[in-house]
Amino acid sequence: MKVSCLQDNLAKGLSIVQRAVPSRSSLPILGTILVATDGPRLKLAATNLEIGINCWIGAKVEDEGAVAIPARLLVDFVNSLPPDRIEMDLNVRTNTLHLKCARFEANMNGMDPSDFPVIPSPEENNRVSMDADVLRDVIRQVTIAAATDESRPVLTGVSVTVEGGQATFAAADGFRLSVRTAPLKETAAAPMTFIVPARALDELARIATDQEDPVEMCIPEGRNQILFHLSSVDLVSQLIEGRFPDYKQIIPRTFTTRTVMNTGELLQAVKTTNIYAREASNIVKLRIVPASDLAPAHVELNATAAQVGDNVGEVDATVEGQGLEIAFNSRYLIDVLSVISEAQVALETTTPSSPGVIRPVGSNDFLHVIMPMHITQ
Amino acid sequence: MPIRLLPPEIANKIAAGEVVERPASVVKELVENALDAGATDIQIETRDGGRRLIRVADNGSGIPAREAELAFARHATSKIASVEDLAAIRTLGFRGEALASIAAVARVSLLTRAAEDEVGTFLRVEGGQVVQREGRASPRGTTVNVENLFYNVPARLKFLKADATESAHIANVVMRYAIAFPDVHFSLVRDGRLAFQSPGSGRLLDVLAKVFGADTVARLLPVDPAQDASLSPDAKVRVRGYVSEPSLTRSDRDGLMLFVNRRWVQDRSLAYAVIQAYHTMLPEGRFPVAVILLEMDPAEVDVNVHPAKSEVRFRNPSLVFSKTQRAVRRVLVAHAPVPEMHMPQPAQPQAHTERFRTLSQLGLEAQRTGDTEAVRAPVFQVPERPDPAARRLPPLRVLGQLAQMYIIAEGPDGLYLIDQHAAHERVMYDQLMAQQAAAQAAAQQLLQPLPVELTPLQMSTLEEALGDLAALGFEIEPFGEDTCLVRAVPAAIAGDDVATVLRDTLNELGQEPPPPVQGHRVTAVVACHGAVRAGKTLTVEEMRALVEQLERSEFPRTCPHGRPTVLHLSMGLLAREFGR
Ligand SMILES: Nc1ncnc2c1ncn2[C@@H]1O[C@H](COP(=O)(O)OP(=O)(O)O)[C@@H](O)[C@H]1O
Ligand SMILES: [Mg+2]
Repeated sequence: MKVSCLQDNLAKGLSIVQRAVPSRSSLPILGTILVATDGPRLKLAATNLEIGINCWIGAKVEDEGAVAIPARLLVDFVNSLPPDRIEMDLNVRTNTLHLKCARFEANMNGMDPSDFPVIPSPEENNRVSMDADVLRDVIRQVTIAAATDESRPVLTGVSVTVEGGQATFAAADGFRLSVRTAPLKETAAAPMTFIVPARALDELARIATDQEDPVEMCIPEGRNQILFHLSSVDLVSQLIEGRFPDYKQIIPRTFTTRTVMNTGELLQAVKTTNIYAREASNIVKLRIVPASDLAPAHVELNATAAQVGDNVGEVDATVEGQGLEIAFNSRYLIDVLSVISEAQVALETTTPSSPGVIRPVGSNDFLHVIMPMHITQ
Repeated sequence: MPIRLLPPEIANKIAAGEVVERPASVVKELVENALDAGATDIQIETRDGGRRLIRVADNGSGIPAREAELAFARHATSKIASVEDLAAIRTLGFRGEALASIAAVARVSLLTRAAEDEVGTFLRVEGGQVVQREGRASPRGTTVNVENLFYNVPARLKFLKADATESAHIANVVMRYAIAFPDVHFSLVRDGRLAFQSPGSGRLLDVLAKVFGADTVARLLPVDPAQDASLSPDAKVRVRGYVSEPSLTRSDRDGLMLFVNRRWVQDRSLAYAVIQAYHTMLPEGRFPVAVILLEMDPAEVDVNVHPAKSEVRFRNPSLVFSKTQRAVRRVLVAHAPVPEMHMPQPAQPQAHTERFRTLSQLGLEAQRTGDTEAVRAPVFQVPERPDPAARRLPPLRVLGQLAQMYIIAEGPDGLYLIDQHAAHERVMYDQLMAQQAAAQAAAQQLLQPLPVELTPLQMSTLEEALGDLAALGFEIEPFGEDTCLVRAVPAAIAGDDVATVLRDTLNELGQEPPPPVQGHRVTAVVACHGAVRAGKTLTVEEMRALVEQLERSEFPRTCPHGRPTVLHLSMGLLAREFGR
């Protein structure tokens, strides 16, 4: 193999695939990054067998070839090089990669590229696509609710249902549920439903930051994998097997109080209250006060921490229905308010012990259910 | 009723009860016979948890045609001939009871051929009687078919658990032998599907990868006589195997497997010796993965304690335990080198000595540019100041996290190491107690009631503790015989693995006699199991919050179990030790 490319491009490509390198593994080959020529481009690949990432960068290929190079070594070395042209030359017999850039030279002992696990490429069937910025938004809004604990594996995933011209994403961790629908670029040929690990989606959102073209998703038949195809990156993830709980029945159909607030104001108020709440199991109490002769409608937030003291804050609101006092985990409120970009949110509640629903005002495609906390006497 | 001798078929059934308790016992006996016959390939097949069918096929020596019927006679064995032989048993079987016992409680058929025979022998035995015998073509080796186990012992049949449970017991048996005999290829087919298979490569690690998975195996450390002179091959007791590094733990002891002369054994004291080797390296209530294989002169160990042969008696137990513990400890210490320092111990009243902790007990890891190297220095102890005002912590600045277990912080006088689990346990305990004092419990409701399956013991513990748990914020209701529904959990509980927190809590509450705690027991136990675990990466913000909360505690220096939460290395001490 004889190739040259720009240091910037190589460093950027490595930073993308590097995220799939496992921090520890019994298989030495997984600790490497595959560097291979692919037509006129250079392909970089890494996998932890749960997710795999292929990334292509522009290069001048003189001689074809491939080698697997220890990830840490390659990444650290390339990152410290000046922004100049890097020339790479492979000794196929010993799998030694020679690197040259400006006045630096290095030899890297690699491994046999044929030992590197094959990361599949997209297929034609079962394929749908979405706008990249919509997908990033969807991921942000949904993965906050996914469980981080492995005790119920399906809950560490995001349930995706593709039907007609739209896809519905949902995640729940036992205490809260996020559901988001988003349009597809084209109508899906057949309905599909599957569970993608939330971790893989977070990775995808990170990779897709400057993706402009739509992101293609493809589910190859019978492989229990999903493939995301971006302009110069492919990400493959194992799907989670199992049945996702029927979340539709969790979403309350009715409410008695609807409180509309400014998203940013509410977020700021919760963050302030959280300074106290975090000392007391994150409990923040919301007192929803409808308009009266004495005062306009508002919501009072307070937290009490036995050893610290207490605090109260207030935000303006419009309240339909009766007043109510309800307590939530402040972290959950912060999580959801941070991913809503609409100016206003509505909180729908019924009783202090029934689920609260948060929706952006003026948009029907996102909703978040939070179970309240309660104080038993 | 007059006294009379039992008819032989009843006597046999009673004796069978000792050997054949459940399908897994049948598998165990048949596999042992196959191994004793020198098999290198053993195929096990079961249907309906072994109730309908257990078939064990081997490529061992086979049984010569003229002896085939004798194999089913009680106390018929080819493995020992005299009482003296009993003193030094080298085979797995020796009591000559297994086939007879199995044949008393199931429909058994046998197809076998020894090397010297041209044709094999087929036998069918029912109710202990041979009902069919004929010559049949057969490969060398033996296949035993056991059908309709306990068909004639309804009492036993009633006590069998669900198929899945019995299948799990069977799989455990097969895995244990696969570990003890890495050079033998085992396969276990359950209801037509391959459930387990060992490669028969002769390498123990290959088998462990199949049993525990590659991730676990990557974190096992070898206990290897070749690496350790004190385990030399001519020693009386030889210890080898694999143990998990301290960061890999489980909440149960199922990862702990002990073998003596290639026989899986259950021995509490020996298990305890292994766990003790991890002293202070493991979070409370967590257990290592450890596969320990002891080899010793057969005369040093008595396996004839119980018909099931899984209990043993050592001639010199303390030698065995200390040998084992030292071997494991040495591996752990070599993995995480310990700076052992010494400081003249100031004259202190006795009462404080229990709070002393040496650094070595903490298993500190000295890391230098990636590879670990022991820091050599004398041993020292960190005394706690007797002054009660000094119990409160000074303001601390968080520097980082060590081994996902300890928070490193700087204080006005030196370095502080904080055990994240113990610290959070203390903080949670204080919070829960404060809520109880105010007769209020903050509960976080679940999106959907979570069904949690419990053992009968956990279930009865739950019934007793229900009131106390409710006072802390648990909302639990029994749901059928072996399940409860959790609707809400104390808000203070970290993480979302509600089922594990509940089960671990009930396990500890059910322990007899109850382990000592200071303060309110149920609260302490919930705090312990709900607290953040060792092994969790904390963000700087999380660490800061935890340390601040700990600073405010009245008793910041111990968790409710009395373990220290903080270790202090004063500037003076550091200066002395660095020779400044
Ligand atoms: N799979 C086998 N291969 C060869 N011989 C066997 C096998 N199973 C049983 N035998 C023979 O049958 C005898 C009786 O077996 P068993 O009742 O299990 O008693 P034990 O194993 O204690 O001797 C054994 O001693 C052995 O000679
Ligand atoms: Mg036997």
